[in-house]
Amino acid sequence: MTDLERKALLPAGLRDILPPEAAFEAEICETLAAGFGSHGYDRVKPPLVEFEDSLMSGAGAAVSAATFRLMDPVSQRMMGVRADMTTQVARIALTRLTDMPRPLRLSYTGEVLRIRGTQLRPERQFAQVGAELIGAESAEADIEIIAIAVASLHDIGVPHLSVDLTIPPLVPALMEAMSLGDDEYRALRDALDRKDVGAVRKHGDAQVEALCSLMDGTGPANAALEVLSGLSLPDAAAKELDRLRVVVEGLGRRMPDLDITVDPVENRGFEYHTGVGFTFFSRGERGEIGGGGRYIATLNGADVGNDNGEAATGFTLYVDNIMRVLPSPPARLRLYVPPGEPLGNIDELRKDGWVTVAGLDAAVDASVEARRMKCSHVWLSGCAEPLEQG
Amino acid sequence: MTTANDTLRLAVPKGRILEELLPVLARAGIEPEAAFSDKHERKLEFATNIPNLSILRVRSFDIATFVAFGAAQMGVAGRDVLMEFDYPEVYAPLDLGIGYCRMVVAEKEDELARENPKRWSHVRVATKYPEITRRHFAERGVQAECVKLNGAMEIAPALGLCRRIVDLVSTGSTLKANGLVEIEQIATVTSQLVVNRAALKTRSAEIHGWIDRFQGALDAA
Repeated sequence: MTDLERKALLPAGLRDILPPEAAFEAEICETLAAGFGSHGYDRVKPPLVEFEDSLMSGAGAAVSAATFRLMDPVSQRMMGVRADMTTQVARIALTRLTDMPRPLRLSYTGEVLRIRGTQLRPERQFAQVGAELIGAESAEADIEIIAIAVASLHDIGVPHLSVDLTIPPLVPALMEAMSLGDDEYRALRDALDRKDVGAVRKHGDAQVEALCSLMDGTGPANAALEVLSGLSLPDAAAKELDRLRVVVEGLGRRMPDLDITVDPVENRGFEYHTGVGFTFFSRGERGEIGGGGRYIATLNGADVGNDNGEAATGFTLYVDNIMRVLPSPPARLRLYVPPGEPLGNIDELRKDGWVTVAGLDAAVDASVEARRMKCSHVWLSGCAEPLEQG
Repeated sequence: MTTANDTLRLAVPKGRILEELLPVLARAGIEPEAAFSDKHERKLEFATNIPNLSILRVRSFDIATFVAFGAAQMGVAGRDVLMEFDYPEVYAPLDLGIGYCRMVVAEKEDELARENPKRWSHVRVATKYPEITRRHFAERGVQAECVKLNGAMEIAPALGLCRRIVDLVSTGSTLKANGLVEIEQIATVTSQLVVNRAALKTRSAEIHGWIDRFQGALDAA
């Protein structure tokens, strides 16, 4: 290995994004955020690093294990690099923006850093774009947040989009009734997360039948709701299920072509969610496009409880996975401008989306240099002349 | 959408499990093309009587990986492989009840006479399953240093490579032939029908249809 090659090596999970992907990624982030903005979701920009105790409060506890920490030599307090931006936006809403009328609509884009990637996303740093609707408890709020995400994804051209809905509190409600020990609870939760019907049945209990029926109630929304409506559930769980039905119907009316599935057992990534949760998939892409759900925006630690928080829902989209399902953007027309050539109306071309590359050396042949600079056209006597292929 | 995305791939293991799996496939109405039953056939993907279903024949240890990354939407994987890799992207909705065996800790017979496993704080173990082994020993407060082998675990203690092994046993005759005794059982193993998470969400009706068909095949047996 040469010294140069050694210096090219980046730490695991970190990478350079090069042309044209870097511009494409930025464009996706901006288009999405502008879309959220047009629905009244105002942009906020929290810092990369903040004190650990605020970053880990409320919903942030779920990403605590994924968070890089560093000591602030100035305040001598522990800081964390954000592993997710939802907590930061919730903190802003609950502190600096308490005067703003509710419901409060905020959006953000930014990079997050995680200690470890996952099998499907080994990257430790990646871009998130999202929106949060804070201070609204109604099903209309659930519907709005999903509909805006779906509409924005449609607008940028994500193909074969589907949304998978879940009710994170449903399974815990059933499991509470089983009086399980810690180990048993974890084993059963693991089995449910893997939809491992055989392993779930081993726990043999009245609730197990209900849990297995929940697994049966996984699939296209209408069929799944039918299976689920046959279940007798504890009151709290039944209320959650009603909410899910209202959301499915509302979404169906608002976006009749949207593929909606229901998975009442899904728990992954929903550790802090307290109501309807959702995940976006694009058929053929193995990773998730994004997801989110209802939570309590609070600055309390996980152990203090969620009593004095605000009802909120929101979503996060993963820009790297979105890029994988979108066709590459068409190459822009690229114009070489030899030095000394009168510029004429060249500004108009730039406004129309042309890229101009100024020559710096008058001694070289214009068309040879244009080709070397990977241009498609050369600027001659006030006109953009196409270069002959060759 | 390209045809490659519309084809459903079912990954099945080569070897011992396949013998037991073939009747299940037949009862589920899946007939692989003739080349599939040819052991010397070099190709890995086979057509079936169902137009958009193909079968991948891969090493049993790799099936969970193929399914986790969506290279195959469905597969037949042993619980041992699922436990070792623990992919959150793999769902195991149906126990096919085939390929029964047990995963156990074993050591040399004379070794067992000399020591008490309860007093271990650190052990060196030869195994094909380092993750399961580490997890298993960690739960009882023992640090396990794993020597990863892909086969012939049973001979390792006799050769002084390590004193213990974690391996699958079905009859126990291989252990016995190598002077080993079982100390404890980690898990029982059968083969599961597994599906890729994203596929279950985005091709829900199709995949559920196949799960039901396999369930029907088991009920018919």
